Amino acid sequence: MAGTMSSIALNGRPNPARASAAPTPWAWLLLPGSIFLVVLFVVPLVGLLLLSLGMPNWTLANFIRITDNPAYVNVLRTTLEISVSVTALAFVLGYPIAYALTTGGPTLRTFLLIAVVLPYFTSVLARTFAWVVLLGRNGVVNQILLELGWVSQPVTMLYNRFGVIIGMTHIVMPLMILPMYTVMSGIDRRLLRAARSNGASPLAAFLTIFLPLSLPGLIAGVLLVFIYCLGFYITPALMGGLSDLTITMEISAQVVDQLNWNFGSALSMVLLVAVLAILWIGSRFFPIEQLLGFSDGKAASETISRRQVGTQWLMRLGAAANVLDRSLPSLGGRSIPALASFLAVLLLLPVLIVAYLSFSASSYFVFPLPGYSLRNYEAYVSDTLWVRATFTSIRIALMAAGMATALGSMLAFGLSRGRIRGRGAMVALVLSPIIMPTVVVAVATYFLLVRVGLQGTEFGLALGHAVHAIPYVVVIVVANLRDLNPTYERAARSLGAGPLASFRTIIAPLVMPALIVASFFAFLASFDDLVYVLFLGIGKITTLPMRMWEGIRQDINPTIAAVATLQMLFAGVVIIIGALLGRQRNT
Amino acid sequence: MLMRAKVSGTDLKTGGIALHNLQKRYGSATAVDDVSLSVSPGEFISLLGPSGSGKTTTLMMVAGFELPDSGRVLLDDRDITRLPPHRRELGVIFQNYALFPHMTVAENVAYPLRMRRVAKAEVEARVRRVLDQVHLGALASRRPHQMSGGQQQRVAIARALVFDPPVLLLDEPLGALDKKLREHLRGEIKTLHKEVGKTMIYVTHDQDEALAMSDRVAVMHEGRIRQVSAPQELYRRPADLFVASFVGEVNLIPVKLKSGVVYGGAGEKLPAAPWPDADGDATLCVRPEHLHLDPSAAGSSHGVPGHVVGRTFMGDATIFEFRSDSGLRLTSKVLNISAESMPDVGDACAASWAVSDATVLTE
Repeated sequence: MAGTMSSIALNGRPNPARASAAPTPWAWLLLPGSIFLVVLFVVPLVGLLLLSLGMPNWTLANFIRITDNPAYVNVLRTTLEISVSVTALAFVLGYPIAYALTTGGPTLRTFLLIAVVLPYFTSVLARTFAWVVLLGRNGVVNQILLELGWVSQPVTMLYNRFGVIIGMTHIVMPLMILPMYTVMSGIDRRLLRAARSNGASPLAAFLTIFLPLSLPGLIAGVLLVFIYCLGFYITPALMGGLSDLTITMEISAQVVDQLNWNFGSALSMVLLVAVLAILWIGSRFFPIEQLLGFSDGKAASETISRRQVGTQWLMRLGAAANVLDRSLPSLGGRSIPALASFLAVLLLLPVLIVAYLSFSASSYFVFPLPGYSLRNYEAYVSDTLWVRATFTSIRIALMAAGMATALGSMLAFGLSRGRIRGRGAMVALVLSPIIMPTVVVAVATYFLLVRVGLQGTEFGLALGHAVHAIPYVVVIVVANLRDLNPTYERAARSLGAGPLASFRTIIAPLVMPALIVASFFAFLASFDDLVYVLFLGIGKITTLPMRMWEGIRQDINPTIAAVATLQMLFAGVVIIIGALLGRQRNT
Repeated sequence: MLMRAKVSGTDLKTGGIALHNLQKRYGSATAVDDVSLSVSPGEFISLLGPSGSGKTTTLMMVAGFELPDSGRVLLDDRDITRLPPHRRELGVIFQNYALFPHMTVAENVAYPLRMRRVAKAEVEARVRRVLDQVHLGALASRRPHQMSGGQQQRVAIARALVFDPPVLLLDEPLGALDKKLREHLRGEIKTLHKEVGKTMIYVTHDQDEALAMSDRVAVMHEGRIRQVSAPQELYRRPADLFVASFVGEVNLIPVKLKSGVVYGGAGEKLPAAPWPDADGDATLCVRPEHLHLDPSAAGSSHGVPGHVVGRTFMGDATIFEFRSDSGLRLTSKVLNISAESMPDVGDACAASWAVSDATVLTE
């Protein structure tokens, strides 16, 4: 869940090394990373497919069972219903924020960006915990409602459909906003002026120019969020009721509890195929690799102007709006920024409230605090279980970040500088681990690691995390290499530096900040992960998120608030370091 | 004044623009400072100035995208200062054209008509007519990014013309094009102006463009209009030092005025029309092409004595660098018309000019 979307760049320079000729020496750097990904990503997924087909007794029975049994059809329906509701809600709430983020003044934009990015880098678990605390029977929201006298007894908002949708929507909002924002900020504002001078009212100019040009971003955001919802596990599992069983929870139950690997694999394949189908549709509107922040030259504006979606009826709508212009009250002005700011506050509030509650002097969540104390933090550092979990997490994250940074940066160099055939397929392979539902990849890896005896080992878990973190590293380093002008190296060579010397004196110093940032995000991706550890470490490894997960499921212990706050703080530090190193490079 | 607008049915011409004391500040910086200007219907007027001179801000106040802090904008005696841009009925041609990338050429040109809910058949007819007018009839179904810069420029013009606005506002429309194309399109826009007879307000930082195309040029500097004149007048009789040095090349000679007579730094009398009733420091402006270098007159009392210190062949002309005995550095430009001998570096010469070619500026 690290910083891919934020690094989307729409108009990069054309990559000089794109012609398909004989492989250059740079291309050899692709080898270690691709072997790693094939063994730990492709092979497990193929194994999953074979398992779902009943290998070695080939059969389609598992798939037939899904469609025959009403219980499983119900699971699919629930998953779809929740995903559609969350996507729709996130779209409606996200659009004004993305719009204000593009059109607002500098102060508003800075605030909105913080409100979008800070939650984005805070672990899903911490944010879900925030909602559990807020919406619970004795939660903050109920306390306030009772206090105000708006309700006479606590309202049930948790462990039902309502809670799942609210929690998931909050978590996917950044995923919705960032692609929309990326596309919107690429729209030339002079076009709107041109529309106005050609007789379009502000509303008509929005409908006929801005909206059609922002459509690729809207489609990208909607598809990304929908895919994410389909494969979402943590929040539905923690906030849903008994009737809100989603496909990921069913997969987990089949694989872990019932040890029905074949059927679990079949369910995973259904999820995987659904996601791939949606991605295929999405790729017709927007290059998927750009969606993930991997841009190497092809200007997306061409894609935008190539696709013409619904422009005709928007034209008619715009012309109609124009006629009404004089009778309509002025809609623009301050209402959009005000609405966006309000929504942004809602986006920030849950994490801020958890941070606030973590300083409680009470052992219950009482709002407002009866008094301030550090007792939750003391409880955290004095509890050996928490401390041990923390160190386990750090050990695994260090291993994973080390592997991901080494392999990912080699892949990035190979992709940017190397010349190979099938480069597109290579990019797809490298980026896939973050597009595929984490639960599916984790299950597939679990089957593989069990066979080779690495399940339940910290190294095995780190291998899984490394697969997941490699795409983030590649995206960050590729973006950096694109900015690295090849003439610097040519200048160094012309001044007498050999290939090795020019790498050591020119490339390495210029790329180092990006490598540091990339390794931080790889660390964060591993440190915050819960899904992999649920499968790869079940019963044997307790990482910090694992302990939080157990804590949230059993008793909603206030110590978790302190841990979640520390996690947020850590994420904030990583963002700031990333921003500082990025700025240093540019000056 | 040159006004050869086509008489189109009625003699009642519209499209007169008047700016009254426009003022615009951004924070503490004054972008436009007390600008007043009256543009007649059918006139082609340029706002010429360096970047930051306030010319684009002034144009945007006419277009309705900037609100003046004070002052008024009148269109045919109607106050439009606070009218939103889409109700002004002014055609605007933007820098970099601002063509809608998601629409074809025909859709771009149809846009203003669609916004006015013109009937479909008429939209098609008018789009076709205006595209033919700019010689783009064959490219109607192209997308903007499939066209060359010059073609995009024509689409922008067609889009601004199609709804028949009385006034066209052009914001550096040729800025993004290369030199050859600029010169070509310059001619096209001028021809178009004669054909359609619309008032045109043209913003540019390129003096050649302004001089070549305009009926009148308004030179702007630091938010103020320094001079509004016909091109010839502007070039021959600049109103102040800024205009003199911004428009064309010029020799600026520091002089002293004494009872209407112009004296050089060494106290020598310089050729210039007598300057009535003024004493003190002034500047004498002489264009390089008006400055003659005469080797035969060296040593005579005629002109400013000195030496040639540089000579550069420019193709159509030769540029001479001249240093007077009193230390002045002057430039002379001689067209390479005949093979007659020209002075060489090191030659002693006398620099002179016709009295009528020199302008005295006191400020």
